[in-house]
Amino acid sequence: MKLRLPDSVASPQDLNALLIEVRQYQKWLAHESIKKQVNVKHISEQPVMSSSIKELFRNYDLKKIIDQHSIESLIETLEKYKNSAPSITLTLAATPTTTVKSTLVSWCRDNIAPDILVAFQFNTTLLGGIVVRHGSHIFDWSFRRQILAAREHFPEVLRNV
Amino acid sequence: MNNILLQSFILLNVFIMGILVSVAVRHAYAHFRPRENDEIEKSHPHIQAQSAHLPPAVKERLLQASQAHFQAVLNHSAAELQQDLKSTAFHLNKQLGKLGTDIISDEMKRYHASLDQLRKQTETTMLNAQAEIALHQTEIKEKLTKRQTELETQMAEDITAEKQMLIQNIDTKLADAVASFLTETLQHNVDLGAQNAYLTSMLEEHKAEIIKGVNDEA
Repeated sequence: MKLRLPDSVASPQDLNALLIEVRQYQKWLAHESIKKQVNVKHISEQPVMSSSIKELFRNYDLKKIIDQHSIESLIETLEKYKNSAPSITLTLAATPTTTVKSTLVSWCRDNIAPDILVAFQFNTTLLGGIVVRHGSHIFDWSFRRQILAAREHFPEVLRNV
Repeated sequence: MNNILLQSFILLNVFIMGILVSVAVRHAYAHFRPRENDEIEKSHPHIQAQSAHLPPAVKERLLQASQAHFQAVLNHSAAELQQDLKSTAFHLNKQLGKLGTDIISDEMKRYHASLDQLRKQTETTMLNAQAEIALHQTEIKEKLTKRQTELETQMAEDITAEKQMLIQNIDTKLADAVASFLTETLQHNVDLGAQNAYLTSMLEEHKAEIIKGVNDEA
């Protein structure tokens, strides 16, 4: 099935973190399975699952049966996703809030590619706007760029004041 | 040619005057130192024969009459000689004056002709020189005017270029200053929450470019 990552998993770093989390869960699940086979009564505590992995499990249809095989399949899918998914970097003028991140990632996955990974950076000198980088392509729609591009009009504007 | 004629005429007159002077001297000598007997005997040999028979008074009277006659003749000759001399001198002076006048007139004519020629040459030269000077002055004025126009045009162009450059520099510095002011001022007051809609609209506006870039990179 086609994997749709939650919008909270936006960047390759987020995906790596998710993979680590899934692997930890897989490890825990393997340990519990062995314990169950050898009739060990003690059950260790389940690793804390983030909202992202819960949403991933829901999206990946692991709601009812979560076994070793399905987890391995999920990891493999995530690895393929990580290697094949396109990624872009959005640079903003400040650290983006969750809402802003979610809005931008959602827009990117709805309009550009559903499996796209979006990394965020910030640079205060941009003043505002956004800089989009994909591979060797850079689209600079920052306020700074617009101000510098329009600086030749400042004297004319000032003369008309 | 005239000089030669004048010299010849003067020499001829001198020669004639020499002859006349020698005749006069001879007569004077004969008058003041007479050789009475010899002369009478040679010229009138019959008188010698008669004088021996003439009384002294007659002789004396004849002698005095002869002397008077001789004196008269001598005076007459001297007067004629003097008259001739005067006439000759008068004619000579007249000829000399005429000759001098002719010579002076010719020389004056030549002198005037030379002067006229020189004056004409000088006038021609002066006219040519004046024409050349006028032409040269015209050329110099034209060159000066042309050069002045070029310099004025060049100066105006330089001033305009300098003015444009200064305006450009001022505009550039002003733009840099405004841009720096804006970037320095605004970068501390960034509100992404307020820009959320703007960011989305910006992405929406350039959606085609982003998709094309992603597809090209893929």
